[in-house]
Amino acid sequence: MSVRALLACWVALVLLSLATVVSLGLPSARDTLLVLLLLALGKAWLIVDGFMELRHAPWPWRALMLAWPVTMAGGVAGAALL
Amino acid sequence: MSTSPEALLPNRRLPGDLAMWWFILAEITLFSILILAFAITQRLQPALFAAGRQALDASMGLALTLSLLTSGLLVALAVTRVRQARAGVSALLLAALGSACVYVWLKLSEYAHLLALGLDVEHDTFFTLYWLLTGLHFLHVLLGLVIIAWMAVRAWRGGYHAGNCSGLESGALYWHMVDLVWVLLFPLVYLIEAGP
Repeated sequence: MSVRALLACWVALVLLSLATVVSLGLPSARDTLLVLLLLALGKAWLIVDGFMELRHAPWPWRALMLAWPVTMAGGVAGAALL
Repeated sequence: MSTSPEALLPNRRLPGDLAMWWFILAEITLFSILILAFAITQRLQPALFAAGRQALDASMGLALTLSLLTSGLLVALAVTRVRQARAGVSALLLAALGSACVYVWLKLSEYAHLLALGLDVEHDTFFTLYWLLTGLHFLHVLLGLVIIAWMAVRAWRGGYHAGNCSGLESGALYWHMVDLVWVLLFPLVYLIEAGP
């Protein structure tokens, strides 16, 4: 990846991390949970496609690495809400 | 028979060594078990987990996150710099090491604070899982420090070139895996409350 793309990736990761803490002020616990997990998925996607450079990698590896955070977030959401 | 990633799928390139990717898959599988165990146990004992989380500081979790992400950026920049055949790779890796050391210092401060309150691994179910989950991640961070330091020394000696940086890429991938696990641990351990 280019230096510019990596820096953009880092800025986005920092903003999502700050949003994670700010989202604690949401009125509904359910909304907070979903927002926190979506923000975590956003960060995971940036790390996998950006830092790990899987955006242009063989698709099975990219799919595997993107499926992991999605599965974990689904598991956490399911355990918390069901 | 070649086992390189390029040989398996020639049109797209998988960075690093294939063995590192299998290692990463094994590691995140291990973390999966603990993450799901934490989430399910939290659902079964929400009051206990809410009380335990009161002893944790979300701003500390944020600082830990930012130090790891910054270190990840610096390692990624070092890889890019080697591919561009530019100087300053070891300086970037040393800066990454410094940022990772901030994480270690903050985490040790948190651990010391919790131990001073008597919240050790045997205190209750929340803290048993907290110490297991964050402790395992912390051990991965410590291994990452060794790997980054090794890569910095190797880069200082001119061991990486544009056509020969698979080792550097593999080390960087390990460090990004540590980042990847942490961005899920941070909300799970510090922030998320269970409940319908």
